[in-house]
Amino acid sequence: MPALKLLPQLLAWTALAAVLLRGCTERRRLSAAACAAGFAAGVLGIALLARSLPATPYGVVRSLLGGSFLVLWVVSVVALYRSTGKGRPAARSAGLTGRPLAAGSLSFFFALTAGGVCACRLPAAGGDLLPLLAPLILVLAGLALLIGALALERRLPASLTVSFPGLLAALVALLLFSSASLLRLDLFSPLSMKVMKGTHDFVHQFMESILIPDHIFVRPAIWGYIGFLFGKEVGFWGGMVIWFTPVLLVLLALRFELLPQVSHIRQGALRRKLLAAAMRERNLRMVIPGLSLAVFAAAAYQSCYPSVEYWDPKPVLVSADAAGEILIPKKGEINLEDGKLHKYLYRQGGHEARFFVLLTPTGKLSVDLDACAICKPDGYGQAEGTVICYYCKTLIPLDTVGKPGGCNPVPLAFSEKADAVHINGVTLMNEWTRTVQSTTKKEGGK
Amino acid sequence: MKRTLAALWAALSSRALAPLVIGFFFALYIGIAFFTDETLTVLIALTGRNRMLAAVLALLPLNFACRMVVEATGYLKRRRALSRAAAALEPALYDETVELAAAPVFAGLPERLSAAGYRTRVSGELLAAWRGVSLSPARLVFLATACCLFAGILVSLVGRSVTRQPVIEGELFPSPSGTGGLVQRIIFQKSFGYFLAKDLVMEVAATGPDGGSKELGVYPPNLVGGAFVYPRYLGVALTCKFTAPDLPGGFEHSDIFAIYPPGKEAQLAVKGSPYKITLTLEKPQDGSDPYMTGQLAIHFKLVKGSDLVLEGSVPKGGEFARDGFRLAIPEARRMVLTDFVVDYGVLLIWGAGLLLLVAVFVWLPVRLFFPRREMLFQGGGGTVRACSHAEGGAREHAGVFHEVLDVLAGKQPDSPVS
Repeated sequence: MPALKLLPQLLAWTALAAVLLRGCTERRRLSAAACAAGFAAGVLGIALLARSLPATPYGVVRSLLGGSFLVLWVVSVVALYRSTGKGRPAARSAGLTGRPLAAGSLSFFFALTAGGVCACRLPAAGGDLLPLLAPLILVLAGLALLIGALALERRLPASLTVSFPGLLAALVALLLFSSASLLRLDLFSPLSMKVMKGTHDFVHQFMESILIPDHIFVRPAIWGYIGFLFGKEVGFWGGMVIWFTPVLLVLLALRFELLPQVSHIRQGALRRKLLAAAMRERNLRMVIPGLSLAVFAAAAYQSCYPSVEYWDPKPVLVSADAAGEILIPKKGEINLEDGKLHKYLYRQGGHEARFFVLLTPTGKLSVDLDACAICKPDGYGQAEGTVICYYCKTLIPLDTVGKPGGCNPVPLAFSEKADAVHINGVTLMNEWTRTVQSTTKKEGGK
Repeated sequence: MKRTLAALWAALSSRALAPLVIGFFFALYIGIAFFTDETLTVLIALTGRNRMLAAVLALLPLNFACRMVVEATGYLKRRRALSRAAAALEPALYDETVELAAAPVFAGLPERLSAAGYRTRVSGELLAAWRGVSLSPARLVFLATACCLFAGILVSLVGRSVTRQPVIEGELFPSPSGTGGLVQRIIFQKSFGYFLAKDLVMEVAATGPDGGSKELGVYPPNLVGGAFVYPRYLGVALTCKFTAPDLPGGFEHSDIFAIYPPGKEAQLAVKGSPYKITLTLEKPQDGSDPYMTGQLAIHFKLVKGSDLVLEGSVPKGGEFARDGFRLAIPEARRMVLTDFVVDYGVLLIWGAGLLLLVAVFVWLPVRLFFPRREMLFQGGGGTVRACSHAEGGAREHAGVFHEVLDVLAGKQPDSPVS
């Protein structure tokens, strides 16, 4: 079963190695060696890190993924800038992957990250006792697949070349696809959430900047359109724009590349032949970035529809005593200290508030609203090592539950006695109302 | 010195500068996002306060202004070249330049070019051909848009000051340059515009000898004493008189409460007592808007500690008395909590919006239907120098250009000079 779970990552690794080898054809041997070393270093490094600091590997690999995506953005903007200038960029950037240092470090970095992603998929990657056998088997499998990639790359037609930005687009796409099936490595969902928050802030600031009147003056239909900008759909589509734009820029850069100058040739047939050859070569260079678009789409799909089941218990109805205190026993039908998220529902005066109790990895109980201070209160579910905000799909590591800010569940004041957890009903209801009012657009709400 | 100035000019007018500066701020945004959720607010505050960051931001309008100069110069030079006013052709202005070892004999070429839709001019050893409309003016407007936008943002970030003041019916208008005239009336009414559902008008009497009164609306905001008047929230200015059996001395308080729309609560703590009064604007049973009609009735809840003592409603000028408690509202006037915004960047941002509309409306049809295509052939010293430039339809244009070159080369095929 673990081997099956690793299938997408290993497939992505094979494709990544093949693309790298095709991108560094002049330094194929060096690139292959760097790939092997990088993959082994990535797997073993993350495996060792997981043994000493269980939560760190995810952060490291995520940073590498995020960093490579940012670099792709920069490279794609530069590529477009250069191709829309007066120069002829193809000739200028062609030699980059031909340099030994560039080819070697590029291959090593991407293989290292791919190895890291694969290691994070190993079943015990987050545990205390990681058997070294599994990483070693993974390294051997990775090396075998690298040999397969070498054979595959040799069979590809020689005319199928790739520019440096196109190569980078393909490599980043494969890494993101590889990581999209791991909740804690996925970048698309947090990106959507950041876009949603960023758009919200931007619209708010923009309206204040140009002195647009508040909702009490504006037509509800118009306000509805403005309100749309605060929803998760904008986060999703904004995320899609940021996700796909670098590859599209790379494709545009290739499309806008100036064709060779043929004005000095006085034979029309020769001119046409040269131009046709240049266009054919350009079209072939667009194949790999074009395929990367599909890989980016697959990664986004995987992120939006993860094959993970969340622990999401039905909220248990609770009531307050005469003093307004809600008492939740630690043991009994529900064991509050079993590390699982336990949801409760409190009703009073026609209003209701949802909250949950959870034992965090630090060994402390945390009582939080089933809502955060940013999103609509769709609530949280629990997955391996995290809780997830259903609205924006942001993952919150369990050890940060109970801390305020961002998309973390809003923490509640409570007192812990030997046998039960005590929560003030009025505080709970006020906190819920305040949070929900600030995250839900209501007529007259401000 | 000359070389330094040239390098400085090249850097300031470079196409790369704007993406670099925007990329820098984007990177800063990402960096800030690691530390706080209020990323944009922090970035705005940081840029407004830090002179270095403001100077980096200032590179954007400067860059767009310099690029306007470059664009305008290039446009004028190309025009001059077409009209034979330029002494020599500048290859940098064109997409393609080639020299042929051929005599500048242009006979028959104008007709051939006219048949391809080009207008031509032959003067001496120069043949100029062109068709379509240049995108340069639209590009200039677009660059002006970007210049205004970023200049507006810069001015706003660095110099914006906001003072929030209540504008109350029957009181002096709190103008930032001193007190204004008397606020005669605040009118809140339905609007039939496309954008606004409700209109707010603050009628302010003139203070000078000129007479007349000012009517300050919602949008576009009026400029008073150098500040934009930006109404934010509606509310009521109330005077409350309260007495209780254990508070015989009574309590009188005048304050403003942002309690519009009806249902929105505000709390008033009775000083030196355990009493708190929660106030809301009562929604009339006929469904009318009390702020529009001016029939202000206040719903109240009197709380002592955490116990509800009394709940009721008091109309403007009326009172409520029961069990020794008495709450009177002798005065209730409409109030608008208003921001006085001193920020001339707003004008630049509005201007950028208008310019953008103009740029798009000019650029799109010209680029789609009348793209500019130019070619020039200049003879001299036994050669012909040919330049070509296309803003759209480049493939078709290159075909015509090459064909003319072939004709010019005549019987001397494959004889390039460079």
